[in-house]
Amino acid sequence: MRLTLPDIRHDQSGFKALVRLEAETKDCVFEEIAIDMGGTSWIDADMCASFGAILYRMGDNMNTVRLTNIRPGVESILLKNGFLSHYGREKIPDRWGTTIPYQRFDSKDDRYFADYIENELIRRSEMPAMSPGLMKKFRESIFEIFSNAVLHSHTKLGIFSCGQFFPKRDRLDFSVADLGIGMRRNIADHTGLALAAADAIVWATAGRNTTKRGPVPGGLGLKLLGEFIDLNGGCIQIVSDAGYWRRQNGKTVTAPLSNPFPGTVVSMEINTADTNSYKLVSELSAADIF
Amino acid sequence: MQNEMTISIFETVGSPLCVASGDGQKVYERLAAALHKGRSVTLSFHNVTTLTSAFLNAAIGQLYGVFSEEHIRSLLKVQDMPPDDLALLKRVVETAKQYFKDPQRFDQAVRDELGDNGDDL
Repeated sequence: MRLTLPDIRHDQSGFKALVRLEAETKDCVFEEIAIDMGGTSWIDADMCASFGAILYRMGDNMNTVRLTNIRPGVESILLKNGFLSHYGREKIPDRWGTTIPYQRFDSKDDRYFADYIENELIRRSEMPAMSPGLMKKFRESIFEIFSNAVLHSHTKLGIFSCGQFFPKRDRLDFSVADLGIGMRRNIADHTGLALAAADAIVWATAGRNTTKRGPVPGGLGLKLLGEFIDLNGGCIQIVSDAGYWRRQNGKTVTAPLSNPFPGTVVSMEINTADTNSYKLVSELSAADIF
Repeated sequence: MQNEMTISIFETVGSPLCVASGDGQKVYERLAAALHKGRSVTLSFHNVTTLTSAFLNAAIGQLYGVFSEEHIRSLLKVQDMPPDDLALLKRVVETAKQYFKDPQRFDQAVRDELGDNGDDL
């Protein structure tokens, strides 16, 4: 089987292209799948998390995946961030240090993920000089996203992450994708609510909603993430099943996708020039917590 | 036998990154054992650099499913927490109180949300 791939941008069009690839290959078993990237003139590097998740699922279905005719500019990015190392190529040094490597984790790899974030993001000298408050919030947000995937996705195939820093634009993109059951099914299974995929994302990102049952409460992680992005002036996109959701400038938009993503992707775009202190206006007393 | 004790989060987790629900569970087990015995506990966040709601839900939020608010308030204290972490803990605590008070709130919540937020493209 031979398929072509268009540009994969960090926006709705990029996700549309990826879910089309998923739809075209989801029933393939023991096939040789060649993805012709001759027409791919651009890939936003953080989208490797979602792209890699789809390719990993193809491999798990015992298909052999080959990426062909990769243009030099795209190839260079995918070699630097280690993506093509998963497909028989050697990683090359990232001279400018702007890539955050593509990596796959199992859902029990919390500590390993934490080390990855510390070593590949927080402690890197090439990273932008973010204010301590922003750096702390950013770091917390990434861990909230990963925890969400661990707690809610029920993924057996893993969690995928990748990022890219754009120094001239003061922007850092970071994505986490899982191959789990998706928000729509998770909500249906736990609450009985039958929602459209995009509405399921709206539900999951709202205030106190949670699919958590049993002794440990939940329902705060994605809400905190949205609040941070609103203050930061960045953007967050979520794709789950056949739903697309984006929050930017305090405004949320949703749309159905023509095909489902086989899990959930949370993709954040951080404004690294943000000078908010993230200090609270009124301080809480430790005696007034419980 | 001591009536007051301090539990170090850093020592319990073994890392300054307190982000995983599983690590929160370790803290919960120590806390719950102490509160069951009626001990006063000071939970120290000294040397902790990063917290998530997932960690705090497991470590502290789930106490509200087992112990009364009064019991927790009378026996548990926190120290060495910067103001923004205190604010996060406060939200986790408030969410936990609601969660255990009103576990069947979901249908109305989703109706409210879908009525207000989803501006379709």
